[in-house]
Amino acid sequence: MSYALRAEWTKLRTVPGTVWLLLAVVAATVLLGLVADAAASCPSGGCQLDLARTSLTGIYLSQAVIAVLAVMTIGSEYSSGMIRVTLTATPHRATVLAAKAVILTALVLVAGTVAVLGSVLVGGLILPAHGFTSAHGYLPLSLRDGPVLRAAAGSVLYLALITLLSLGIATAVREAAAGIGGVLALLYLIPIIAGIASPHWQRHLHQIAPMTAGLAIQATTSLRSMAISPWAGLGVLAAWAAAALLAAVALLRLRDA
Amino acid sequence: MSEATIEVSGLRKRFGPRVALDGMSFTVRPGQVTGFIGPNGAGKSTTMRVILGLDKAEAGSALVGGRAYASLRQPLRHIGSLLDAAALQPGRTGRNHLLWLAYSQGLPAARVDTVLERVGLQSAARRKAGGYSLGMRQRLGIAAALLGDPPVLMLDEPFNGMDPEGIVWMRGFLRSLAVQGRAVLVSSHLMSELQDAAGHLVVVGRGKVIADASVTELLAAASGDRVTLRTTAPAEAATVLERAGAAVSADGDSGGQLTVTGLPAEQVVAMLAAAAVPFSEVSAHRASLEEAYFELTRDAAEFRAASPPGNPVTPAARANAGEATR
Amino acid sequence: MRGGTLTGGTISAYQSETGEGRDRFAQLLRAEWTKFRTIRGWLAGMIIAAVVTVGIAALDHASCGGIVMPGGSVTAGQGCSSPVGPGGQAVTDSPYLVHQPLGTEGSITVRVTSLSGQPAGPASAGTAAGLQPWSKAGIIIKASDRPGSVYAAVMVTGGHGVVMQYDYTGDTAGPPGPVSAASPRWLRLIRSGDNVTGYESADGTRWHVVGTAHLAGLPATALAGLFAASPAGSTSAASSSISGSSGGSGANLATARFDHVIVRGGQPGRAWAGGTVGGNAGGPADTGFHQAGGTFTVTGSGDIAPDVPAASGGDGFAIEHTLLGIFGALVAVIVVAVMFMTAEYRRGLIKVTLAASPRRGRVLAAKAVVIGSVSFAAGLIGSAAALLTGEHLLRSNGNFIMPVSTLTEVRVVAGTAALTAVTAILALAVGALLRSSAAAVTLVISVVVLPYLLENTVLPAGAADWVLRITPAAGFAIQQSLPQYPQVAASYTPANGYFPLTPWAGFAVLCGYAALALAVAAIILRRRDA
Repeated sequence: MSYALRAEWTKLRTVPGTVWLLLAVVAATVLLGLVADAAASCPSGGCQLDLARTSLTGIYLSQAVIAVLAVMTIGSEYSSGMIRVTLTATPHRATVLAAKAVILTALVLVAGTVAVLGSVLVGGLILPAHGFTSAHGYLPLSLRDGPVLRAAAGSVLYLALITLLSLGIATAVREAAAGIGGVLALLYLIPIIAGIASPHWQRHLHQIAPMTAGLAIQATTSLRSMAISPWAGLGVLAAWAAAALLAAVALLRLRDA
Repeated sequence: MSEATIEVSGLRKRFGPRVALDGMSFTVRPGQVTGFIGPNGAGKSTTMRVILGLDKAEAGSALVGGRAYASLRQPLRHIGSLLDAAALQPGRTGRNHLLWLAYSQGLPAARVDTVLERVGLQSAARRKAGGYSLGMRQRLGIAAALLGDPPVLMLDEPFNGMDPEGIVWMRGFLRSLAVQGRAVLVSSHLMSELQDAAGHLVVVGRGKVIADASVTELLAAASGDRVTLRTTAPAEAATVLERAGAAVSADGDSGGQLTVTGLPAEQVVAMLAAAAVPFSEVSAHRASLEEAYFELTRDAAEFRAASPPGNPVTPAARANAGEATR
Repeated sequence: MRGGTLTGGTISAYQSETGEGRDRFAQLLRAEWTKFRTIRGWLAGMIIAAVVTVGIAALDHASCGGIVMPGGSVTAGQGCSSPVGPGGQAVTDSPYLVHQPLGTEGSITVRVTSLSGQPAGPASAGTAAGLQPWSKAGIIIKASDRPGSVYAAVMVTGGHGVVMQYDYTGDTAGPPGPVSAASPRWLRLIRSGDNVTGYESADGTRWHVVGTAHLAGLPATALAGLFAASPAGSTSAASSSISGSSGGSGANLATARFDHVIVRGGQPGRAWAGGTVGGNAGGPADTGFHQAGGTFTVTGSGDIAPDVPAASGGDGFAIEHTLLGIFGALVAVIVVAVMFMTAEYRRGLIKVTLAASPRRGRVLAAKAVVIGSVSFAAGLIGSAAALLTGEHLLRSNGNFIMPVSTLTEVRVVAGTAALTAVTAILALAVGALLRSSAAAVTLVISVVVLPYLLENTVLPAGAADWVLRITPAAGFAIQQSLPQYPQVAASYTPANGYFPLTPWAGFAVLCGYAALALAVAAIILRRRDA
């Protein structure tokens, strides 16, 4: 396993796209968060805004970049045919996938932490200037605050789980374009299509959809009205990721390379 | 460690309705280059993928040094292979491609530079592999196969895209590997590429082995017992030789050239000399590998173009070489 | 001539047996179409796109009355259908009306001294209760008390001053300012045949015309009277559908006090009759009127205005509600369109393509035409079928679908197909630029689908509006079937079918992006080595 890890790490660091994608993760998270922070305003108080969630809005975008990174990691091996070289070097196929998963997750945890810390910092600077002050009943955004810390750390974990989900789907599909299409459809479409369902079903959809359930971890206010509690929501996403990876391992072992 | 071999026995596999492998069996022995030859679609690449554990066979086994590929801990130390030289990510440099491969086997980075030097690719090593010519990619693929300094090598069409100089280099290189005691299996669909390189040939067609023999044996079988005779007195020569039990036929329009079957060249010379029949040339016919190959694979070719006019496919050697080696 | 022939010892140059074609671009189109249709996965992707569009519409299980507000009642008055106004549009027509008959020539004059509002029940959290900006009371000349009949009215409002409104959509502003005992408003309507003119005055002597309305089909004996109405409160903050919480609203009452009531041209001595237009089934119980001497106190709920589903208590569905599945179709189309381009680069097929047709810009154009046409077809079949399926399902569950003109219906369906086609062309161009399928698919989905999602979930309203103006997602405006009415307070959000840009302007933004991407791709393709 350690050899496979070192090989996968070497692969990732010697492909020019990796660094740019990781930088894009940070940039997308912080910039979209900045836009959301700047657009939020509460001059007179009494607005219902979840400050942590607003400042972490960028995760909606950066998860797509993360998905690209994960999908390309396996998809480009299939498109170039290099997967056969990889599987010749490491015949135990589950090991190959595990090594990719470990290396990718580690990279995403680092980039995600930087991105989330940046977003919280930006939110803490901008939001008070837009009326979200203690005078209007808002605590300053701080990681010392339990729920805010949960939202921040949870967002990093969310990105890591999206990585694994994407890796699993792309491995099962073996095609970069279809893989990323599948991942983004799973993430983005369910919340949009939920609009057509009755409120009862809408709630259920929000409970099982990987994005809406997973992002419940960002909530710091009005937790009661949420469709699913923060940690349970992240658990739902974890189940999706685990299912995708298991399916990927099964298909990887079953199919000819 | 067990002897360095590839043992393939009874492999069967089908892709949908098409039978790819139909009881493929052969053994590759150390110390020589074994040519793995057959027309397109004969099952060469599929066999190699099965040997490497990439494809699963429905029946039969493929062993490397007596073990299944999947059970090898650091497989590249047991067998080096090159399947598709284009199978690399274009954005990575050649050196880095070898680097991850080396790390996957626990090999040090120094090993990468050693093999790069071995295949003569040092100067291009730090360029992106996407810009390599086909010949350079072949060299990079050979370097990858040599990384683990394995006792067994398996190369699929390594001559593809090589210039004449590269082909000469590759032949010498393959021989040098075999001389070191390695087992080398090289596939090709062109017999001429393997000429002078391979000592042993496994000829396949339609998913199974047609011939498995040394080059010398194959040639002898294809050549048969024929002698070409040039004489100013064809009629007398024919009379003398036919009396000795040989079959004689005239070649060409001039009538001065005869083909004699059934007597070795030395005896033909002795009998003509004894009968005082003049002749200017007596030569034993020697079939080329090409002819032997065509004869063997005539019925096994999967795809054959309509024959262009004025270029007969049938070679001169129609001897029963196929029967002899089967 | 077949092959080369020997003539006098020289060999004439070989002539290709395949003759020269006439229209080169038609050949290119045919070549690209052949490329497209021979990859089974791409055809499958297009079929999936159409099927997903219909399939999602078929999931529609909205049923009337299923939308229960946390605050309590479902909606004020109308049940699950809306009356249709003279313009063919759905209307709300449920004010409390106190009326007398009026002949072809006549007038009604009143003085309004107060307008106040109160919630009809316990106020629900997060909603504005009491007097609404569009709480209204005043005088009206109306064909009958049948909902949807023609009318003209001048009125005082909670937040928009004096206004003349007629036939539900007509809206002419008069002087601003609230009404009170200290600053009362005089209102007058004069009927002359089918024409009604509205006046207002601060003192009852100096009158100003507010507006004139032509009411087609106003009967010889119409109704003249006093009315009061108040729409339900709208939520103050955009509801966050992502967290699963929804805002609520409650019915409100408006009470107005009138005096100096004079009706001319009617039936003198006739008693005033009162009632909620269309009946008060399910409405607040406290509506009614009280007459003491010359003073009338009228309390009403509901509204007399165009029906807006997005308004609080609105319960109809816009036709584009059935086309939500287009988002699924777009993802499939984007994937196929990107691959149609990037597959060329995968194994060097582009070299063959460009060798066959060296004019690279035309190759890209041919590809764009092919992918655009196929996507248009998939989008058209999908959205037409989705509209029929969705409307059928909604109706069979007792829902009301906002009536629109056939032209609008055609524009929405064909526009959705065009939206699909242009998005596919954008994806093709981005694929040519990036040459990486994963990156291209992600980029296009992020600029087309994601803004809509963000707009409906996390982004604050101001930012959201801009996102749907400047990103390619502006193109979804082509699906908007209902106009926005300034005289009805509602959450005019994309989730409810309202976009910051007009349908064609929004679509133009998307087309602009596609054209730009295609142009840049053509330039790059020409300059870059294949």
